Amino acid sequence: MTMSRLGSQPTEVIDRSTTLRFRWNGKRFRGFEGDTIASALAAAGEHVFSRSMKYHRPRGMLTADFWDPNLLVQVGDDPNVRAGHRLLESGMDVHPQNVWPSLRHDIKAANGLVARFLTAGFYYKTFMRPQKLWPTYERVLATFAPGGKVDLDTPHRYHDKRYVHPDVVVAGAGPAGIEAALAAAAAGARVILVEHEHAVGGHLRYSSAESARTALSELRAALDASDVEVLTDSTVTGRYEDNWLGIVQRNHPIAVERLIKARAKVLVVAPGLIERPFVFAGNDRPGVITSGAVRRLINLWGVKPGERAVVFSANSEGDAAAADLDRVGVEVAAVIDGREGRRVSAAQGPPKALEAVVAGGTRTDADLLVVAAGWTAPTSLLNMAGDRPVYDPDAARFFPSDPPSNVLATGGLAGDGSLDELRAHGAATGRLAAQRASAVAHRLQARTARALEVTGDEPDWAADERTPLGRSPHPELYRSDTHGMIDLSEDVGSKDLVAAAREGYDSVELAKRYTTATMGSAQGKLETVNTVAAIAEARGETIAQVGTTVWRPPYAPLTLGALAGRVFEPVRVSSIHPWHEANGVHTILAGQWIRPDHYGDPAAEVRNVRTNVGLIDVTPLGKLDLRGPDIPNLLNLLYTNKWSKLPVGKVRYGMMCAEDGVVLDDGVTGRLGEDHYLMTTTSSGAASVWEWVENWLQTERPDWRVHVTPVTTAYTSINVAGPKSRELVSRVTTGVDLSPEAFAYMEVRTATVAGVAGCFMWRIGFTCELSFEIHVPAGHGLHVWEALMEAGADLGVGPFGLEGQRIMRLEKGHFIVGQDTDGLTLGPSTGLSPLIKLDKDDFAGMPELAWAADRQLPMIVAIQPDDPGVVPEEAAQIVRGDTNEILGRITSSRMSPTLGRSICLGQVEPELAAGGTKLTVLLTSGQRISATVIDHHAHFDPDGERLRG
Amino acid sequence: MRRRPAKYSAAALAWRGLRGDSWPRVWRDTELKRSYDAVVVGGGVHGLATAYYLARNHGITDVAVVDKAYLGSGASGRNTAIVRANYLTPEGVAFYDRSLQLYNSMATDLNINVMFSERGHLTLAHSDAALRTMNWRAEVNKLQGVNSSVIDPDEIKKIAPALDTSDHPRHPILGALYHPPGGIVRHDAVVWGYARAADHMGVEMHQKTEVLDILCTGGDGPDGKGAGGRVTGVRTNRGDISTPVVVNCTAGWAGLISAMAGVRLPITTHPLQAAVTEPVKVFLNTVVVSGSLHVYISQTDRGELVFGAAVDPVATYSIRGSLEFTEELAGHVLELMPGISRMRLLRQWSGLCDMTPDYSPVMGFTPVDGFLVDVGWGTYGFKAAPVSGEQIAAAVATGKTPELIAPFALSRFDTGDLVGEKGAAAVGH
Repeated sequence: MTMSRLGSQPTEVIDRSTTLRFRWNGKRFRGFEGDTIASALAAAGEHVFSRSMKYHRPRGMLTADFWDPNLLVQVGDDPNVRAGHRLLESGMDVHPQNVWPSLRHDIKAANGLVARFLTAGFYYKTFMRPQKLWPTYERVLATFAPGGKVDLDTPHRYHDKRYVHPDVVVAGAGPAGIEAALAAAAAGARVILVEHEHAVGGHLRYSSAESARTALSELRAALDASDVEVLTDSTVTGRYEDNWLGIVQRNHPIAVERLIKARAKVLVVAPGLIERPFVFAGNDRPGVITSGAVRRLINLWGVKPGERAVVFSANSEGDAAAADLDRVGVEVAAVIDGREGRRVSAAQGPPKALEAVVAGGTRTDADLLVVAAGWTAPTSLLNMAGDRPVYDPDAARFFPSDPPSNVLATGGLAGDGSLDELRAHGAATGRLAAQRASAVAHRLQARTARALEVTGDEPDWAADERTPLGRSPHPELYRSDTHGMIDLSEDVGSKDLVAAAREGYDSVELAKRYTTATMGSAQGKLETVNTVAAIAEARGETIAQVGTTVWRPPYAPLTLGALAGRVFEPVRVSSIHPWHEANGVHTILAGQWIRPDHYGDPAAEVRNVRTNVGLIDVTPLGKLDLRGPDIPNLLNLLYTNKWSKLPVGKVRYGMMCAEDGVVLDDGVTGRLGEDHYLMTTTSSGAASVWEWVENWLQTERPDWRVHVTPVTTAYTSINVAGPKSRELVSRVTTGVDLSPEAFAYMEVRTATVAGVAGCFMWRIGFTCELSFEIHVPAGHGLHVWEALMEAGADLGVGPFGLEGQRIMRLEKGHFIVGQDTDGLTLGPSTGLSPLIKLDKDDFAGMPELAWAADRQLPMIVAIQPDDPGVVPEEAAQIVRGDTNEILGRITSSRMSPTLGRSICLGQVEPELAAGGTKLTVLLTSGQRISATVIDHHAHFDPDGERLRG
Repeated sequence: MRRRPAKYSAAALAWRGLRGDSWPRVWRDTELKRSYDAVVVGGGVHGLATAYYLARNHGITDVAVVDKAYLGSGASGRNTAIVRANYLTPEGVAFYDRSLQLYNSMATDLNINVMFSERGHLTLAHSDAALRTMNWRAEVNKLQGVNSSVIDPDEIKKIAPALDTSDHPRHPILGALYHPPGGIVRHDAVVWGYARAADHMGVEMHQKTEVLDILCTGGDGPDGKGAGGRVTGVRTNRGDISTPVVVNCTAGWAGLISAMAGVRLPITTHPLQAAVTEPVKVFLNTVVVSGSLHVYISQTDRGELVFGAAVDPVATYSIRGSLEFTEELAGHVLELMPGISRMRLLRQWSGLCDMTPDYSPVMGFTPVDGFLVDVGWGTYGFKAAPVSGEQIAAAVATGKTPELIAPFALSRFDTGDLVGEKGAAAVGH
């Protein structure tokens, strides 16, 4: 077939005064503004656009729209672009996909010669021996993977999302959809009309009939005058629970693609119908084209699709295509009328072209075969709403059965009729949608806690009194008396499906999985019903008996970029971070936080804390501000120990367990006032503990009066540790007596520090030194830190980082949740059994812990290698002698600068937990060393004299 | 009834291709009998493997596998087909290692190409804590003879160039547990292979056969169900079947089926969603998993990227996907591979997972004599199908719990001997 540009057409969408230059397959081409990539190429005489997946057969234009399986191309770094849909832009660099070495000469086309051996699923039956060759076979098979190439340096461009709450969303702007949108808007509803194509109008756009053109301009004018928001080149990709809709907008001026998330009160589904290919010998040959494609080519882009055509028509669309062809000077050599029982049997010719069409034994020379064999109802959105469409053999397509009442179908999906009837049905649907949306709106307002005062009763749920559309009879045309291709994007033929069904893969789902039919780019929109028909034929059943597959989202593919949108996950630093950076910090990532790990020499930092005083920025520590009279109840429920009698001004350590008794988190909570507490969590548990607390309060104890505010980032937290810490803190603090008698260990005060009022200060410590932890309103964090540094210069104050703190906590034997414990460590394994109060009424994990109380559990113990110079890795396994039997593992290990030896925490089997037990530790190098369990967790200052000083 | 199988081979393909012969049915379509020696409920990989090993290893061939839909319609056809053995606990490692061995020889054992692609498996570490857990797993694996080690970002980049291994603050890739024997398998082929091989030995496959009740006698509950009783049969939509042995291999529906025998399971059912992109030329030759981003990625030989995630947080039997899942998934995938933002999501789906409190399965005998379970497979059932089938079949045949599955007995929830795979299995695909 030879295509060329026709003279100006009354309905054309191209601007012939604007020429766009682009490249295709390395050569220069021109098109017009308004062309799709494919229409520009077709006008320039191109007629082969791709090679098929398996046999690498040359493929031409089939449907000339988004769903055309033969028009997937690479545009720059964008793979799998729909050339039948994507508008041409100046400078585009377009390449065919799936060709090797070139579109013209493709070596893999040799596969076509052995097609009879490559039946569907052939790969399951071979390449098994020799087994070691399978990787090689696999690499070869993988080269047949269809699709374009990903440029791994593609940037993630701008993709912000939009959230909308319309009353009515109408999916599809054909005449019925437009009328629905207009009628709903006229009834006062806020309406979004979503159109997959580049302009509204549906099939009216490419109809040359005067009546269609009049109707279209009428509808457009009405839309322009209405409040309906129209989104073109956009698709409703999915309908999820409660009419939660995904809409992808492809023509946003800034975003490459934008995801719009809509909570529609009512969804109107009006996508029209998709033209179904017919199965016969040679039906995938270039030159075989659907009637809709022909009409679009002629009327939208002024492209002459061939010279001499045969039209196989079973409906008015086919007749209209024949008329269009005739009008623009294409010779219509024959019309094969499917309504009269006639069938096209074969399309013949050399590989890349069509020469002749065979029907009823007659051969007609032609370079174009136009097929109008019927329709597929794209019921996807209805399926996603739970509807199971029903097949009607008289109309030869599926129809909606019983969608939920907030999802309404109109247009071709709902039935057939004259343009006026379709418009009237659309309008009635729009009115119904608006009525039901108003009822939903009323209900939402009335039932929302913060609702405005609602006036009047809830409107009745309007009954569906629309006059149903009729159903025009249509011959059931699926396969001719010859076999042909069913899924063009997967190269699956009707023979393959019949063979698969006979082999036992005889349900749609099994056949689909076995042959891969419907798994390609159109996801069944063109091929599903033909697939079902082939299986029905093989089984001797009807299409209704075989049923259809479930259509899953998305309706049309959308980019990962649009789905991902902008990343909202923050990277966090404390207010002191600039100081750290100016002072040679080495940072470490801890969750979302960038934290000081050390400032060059962690061992020196430890020694300085042990002899002088050090400051550590512990801002990421999780902090929850608790207010209300029921806080003691909450704390009793969440922690394993008792909280009823915590006086104001005191803090207490607590351990939380999950309901399975496994250690969840730990930290201290202080009572700041009568009904005011500050809870701290581990840094890594800040978010999850907040969720945990809220979960209990909201789902189990909504009656408790407790208000929880996460204040982790509202306070900058500084721990001042070391024997000189009291001296240092006292130099900058006013309003609090810091003497040991007045401010004892495990107490909390509110103080003014360096002039900053409202700082919470408590005496606790992870380092086993005298220490003061100060929570400063975040805006003043850096100021207080600098004031402490300045005030302590003569005391030898210096910063220390996470590494120093980890060394010191290990010297002290404090375990870290998630490092020394794991997903199975029960509360008592930590050695904190005295803090598990089984005589309380209840607490999270109590039944499990009561059960565990009488059992021997693996224990966390302090371990010292017998060779003080060896530091076993955190992961080294504790084994039985020379065997590989695992008895435990090292969970934390460091060289202690204070003790001058290696120290560890580990988990061991219960029989090894007693002090003095000898262990064999298997280093990751494979070397086995001996080590000893020590009596208590603390390697240093076991009595805590320094801490309490 | 043994049948001579139609052997699959290149030569047979050529021969039938030349002669234009069709292939015989992959499994027979037979009448449902009124009695069987054993009934396996659930025609997924676990049920079919159980039936296959009952016939092959123990000569028990009077077996019916019943499924309410088609074979492989549940989790077997919805999972992301990843296999590996680098688990955290010795019990887990031993068990999955055996499974991997069976997958390795499956193509020749079953005479069907299951396309086991031993492409290696990377579990990424984005934090020090994660790296520590990787080291722990590597050490345990090493002791069990499983090939797995921790590698650094440079090595990761060589194996998977698409990953962003640059130094950046949000979810940096600090290292990975690399497990060369891991890979992907064509899940449907495993279903069909077991069904076909079992069929050849006389096992019957009955699709669209829904179990409505399990008939029991002598138990302490109503209708003779419950502890102390025994199974006498199964009631289906196609009539009653009498049988002394019922094996429950129904994954997401395991709790409902077990309840029919009066056996309560510590299982909640959660949906697990997955998605696939349009195909592009192959650029990812390994399986990539990120625990903290809750995502796992592989590229099929067809060029599609297959994505999976963690189970949905809410327990439900609904398998409609959600929009949020695809958004979060895409965000996480792009954190790892920022260069693929223009790839398009083609399809999403959802399956059901039977989750246990310790993220480990429940296998073996129950308080009802003749009622066995192979359930609680959560998000990791596919990997374990061969070994589970083999071991459950042995339990049925011998009446004793095989050592390999002893740690996974239902009774552990009474005695408290839980299996600690929470860390490695929770999102560890």
